[in-house]
Amino acid sequence: MRKQTLSLLMVLVVSVGIAALPQSKPPTIKIPFETYALSNGLTVILAPDDATPTVAVTMWYHVGSKNEMPGRTGFAHLFEHVMFTGAGHTPYGIHDKLTEGVGGSNNGTTSNDRTTYFETVPSNYLEDALWLESDRMGFLLDTLDIGKLNAQRDIVKNERRQGVDNQPYGLADEILSGAIFPPSHPYSWPVIGSMKDLSAASEEDVKNFFRLYYAPNNAFLSIAGDFQPAQAKRWVTKYFGEFPRGKAITRPSAPPVTLDRETRLVFEDRVQVPRLYVVWPTAGEKSDDRFALTVLDSITAGPRTTRLTKALVYDEQSATSIGTRQDSSEDVGVWSLEITPRPGHSLTELEAAADAIIEKLKNEGPTMEEIQRATAGMEFAFVSQLQSNLGKSMTLADGAGFHNNPGYFQTEYQKMLAVTPADVKRVANKYLTKGRVVLSVVPMGKLDEASKPAESKPFKRVEQ
Amino acid sequence: MKQRQYFALLRRSLAALLLTCIVSSAQQTLDRSKIPPPGKLAALRVPAWTRSTLANGAEFVVSEKHDLPLVSFAITIQGGRSLAEAASRRGIASLTTAMMSEGTKARDGEALSNALQLLGTSVRISIGDESGSIGFQSTSSKFPQALDILADMLVNPAFPVEALERLRAQQLVALTQGKDRPQTIASRVFQKVVYGVAHPFGQTDTEESLKAITRDDVVAFHKAYFQPGRALVTVVGDVNSTAVKATIEKALAAWPKGGEKPQFAYPALPPTHAATIFLVDKPGAPQSIFLIGNPGPPRSTPDYYALQVMNTMLGGMFQSRLNANIREEKGYSYGVSSSFGFGKGPGAFRTGGDIVAAKSDAALVEFIKELRGIGGSRPITDEEIATAKDSLIQRLPGTFASVQSVNSAIVSLWTQGLPDNYYQQYASKVSDIRKDDVLRVAKQYIDLDHLSIVIVGDRASIEAPLKATGIASISLLDIEGNSKGP
Repeated sequence: MRKQTLSLLMVLVVSVGIAALPQSKPPTIKIPFETYALSNGLTVILAPDDATPTVAVTMWYHVGSKNEMPGRTGFAHLFEHVMFTGAGHTPYGIHDKLTEGVGGSNNGTTSNDRTTYFETVPSNYLEDALWLESDRMGFLLDTLDIGKLNAQRDIVKNERRQGVDNQPYGLADEILSGAIFPPSHPYSWPVIGSMKDLSAASEEDVKNFFRLYYAPNNAFLSIAGDFQPAQAKRWVTKYFGEFPRGKAITRPSAPPVTLDRETRLVFEDRVQVPRLYVVWPTAGEKSDDRFALTVLDSITAGPRTTRLTKALVYDEQSATSIGTRQDSSEDVGVWSLEITPRPGHSLTELEAAADAIIEKLKNEGPTMEEIQRATAGMEFAFVSQLQSNLGKSMTLADGAGFHNNPGYFQTEYQKMLAVTPADVKRVANKYLTKGRVVLSVVPMGKLDEASKPAESKPFKRVEQ
Repeated sequence: MKQRQYFALLRRSLAALLLTCIVSSAQQTLDRSKIPPPGKLAALRVPAWTRSTLANGAEFVVSEKHDLPLVSFAITIQGGRSLAEAASRRGIASLTTAMMSEGTKARDGEALSNALQLLGTSVRISIGDESGSIGFQSTSSKFPQALDILADMLVNPAFPVEALERLRAQQLVALTQGKDRPQTIASRVFQKVVYGVAHPFGQTDTEESLKAITRDDVVAFHKAYFQPGRALVTVVGDVNSTAVKATIEKALAAWPKGGEKPQFAYPALPPTHAATIFLVDKPGAPQSIFLIGNPGPPRSTPDYYALQVMNTMLGGMFQSRLNANIREEKGYSYGVSSSFGFGKGPGAFRTGGDIVAAKSDAALVEFIKELRGIGGSRPITDEEIATAKDSLIQRLPGTFASVQSVNSAIVSLWTQGLPDNYYQQYASKVSDIRKDDVLRVAKQYIDLDHLSIVIVGDRASIEAPLKATGIASISLLDIEGNSKGP
């Protein structure tokens, strides 16, 4: 993420993650769009809607941290920052001036799988936004130098310090990814990268990365909002049509992971309250199991009648908060449980209590009413998302990039609606097995506050 | 590509001919170094709304928006925790709002939760410094049922005492966790050193105040706070103005009349102090959290527009002076910004960000340089002020996109006492601001001689370099903001 404006993305994540009411009639609302490709391979998606006089442009590249090599972690995200430092005809600063400076906004995000750039502008600035995006796709290297790279490197190191190193519990996600995936697996390293690897990135790395991955055949341009499609097509051809197709890309192998046993870790952090994390490898974006896994997380934690929340926060009152979540990356997923105890209750006690509840759910399966409660919010979330031109352009780009179908959100919605109690029972038994990672984060010097301390191996931080 | 253009030319339609010429000339001589001239700016379309009063005395505003089947509903209460909470009961506002989700006389907590889950919505209740609200968003078909549940939570909360103990315990844990988070420490210490403990803005909830709150306190707070005489009811979205008013009147029929808008009578600010660095030790911290500022003017100040333009240039945008220098040029941070609080009371001017520990001294020098700069030592360019104004003015048309954003736009006029034509006037008020206005308000409202400079970081490595800048004397505080001596 180039800037620390997170609120919009949080909203989007929430609205995509919630599920649906099986018995209600599916909403008839659609996003009207058309899609086509230029001869150089650039996929274009147009979704006109004049309800608000803005246009959102999403430029989606199919490259993320999984395309990195060990020893060069964090590179895809560092590169995202370099993309804002100006290009051949667009000097540094003009990008902000023609977006934020005219009442719009811009940002970028990098995940394991993709890098997304986006701007929202008043509708009369659409051509400018396309000019900006095309210049950095076609001419980034014309003005690149090591000074620009170094400046962004320092900023990214500060992004890491702010989001990870100087945050209580901030290192937990990295420890967990590193423990679930073998070191050679491309999901084993964090998107933000390590300090050491960030220091190692060279100008030549930037150039090679750009030439391979930032070619039109690896890109998806999605435009939503107040514009005329015919005119937008002319501008897209004008600014992107002349770029040559890039080389064929070999995608990294990121196979599903199964763990044959439990890994137990404990990490001492600058915190006063301990916290327990339990994580299982599951299915990703391409597997239909993820729908039932998502419904499963809505049944286990959240509102007060979900199973773990009801038992541990309300009835036994041994926990102060509980969260569960299915995260679906392109190739694999992760299902995670996070528990913060009330004073006087140990992580060992909480782990056992949570396990018993999950075991019961695996044996009995959920009730139909639980499924209904879990999915009823999806219709609102789905319709609500249509209010944002940026939300629409990103949803369409994700569908195009991951599923070769900008309208994939409709399929996703229907599949979420179709989840049954038997589906949830099946995925719970298939994935929530003994092959998992259990991490206790404890106050400094309090290793004995870990869950089952004698069986938990202290995690030693490698110098970043 | 050329083939296709030639073919188009043969069609001999005037429109096609013109179009083809434009496209082909552009492709042959596309000069990418020229910024494409923007088209005509879309006209500002401010949503229409109508005002009236409900039978219980609450003010009522409805705004129809039919592009999607969505509704945003809110009851906003004038006044907030800064003046409604007693100093000895800090935290009662958030405990009360949490208690309102714990069941009503007709529905226990689980029944309430299940009913809302099945409607696909949740009722959000919160109380901020100077206003509070209870509301929800839903699809239009679920609106009447969700409204009935909201009314039940508002009027008939059961306030079970066991729930109070559970929520109190959760808030105590949250308080403890906040003490581990350097950004939270900085924010609490900043309020304390800028406003002092005698001012509501300088007070926060503590273990002591949370433990002192009783169920009777909660019942009394709820009764005094949630009254229609100090409320605005707003509904925006896919509704019929006349029919929805009847629906709301019926749902809120049991909400008894009473209450009036509070006076925002804040105590005097403490005497100013010479600019001081308030250093809170966070051993080993890789970054130092900076919060620099002073009490600011209320939203009603006639200088509001000049301050907005000034702040946009100083720290309101990515390419504003502070971020362009400290992040982009120097690389000391992931981002720095500045803002004014703008409420009924003396909300703070503040600037800051998370700074790499080793550059704490250098960053402090740059912060002070930019604060001095905007007050006159670094001239304002024509382009700089024009961009700031364009950014503010042209942002407005895009802000009415969702039912929730329209609702917020209406509510903020009411909480801040602004006229109904505020949005229509906004552009001309911003346009009128000149460079000398910016200079004047920068000097007037950023008090360089009396700044509070809160820094939470690794004392062992940053104290001596900070002292060596000679910018201000250093006062050591603990994480609660109490003095630790020299």
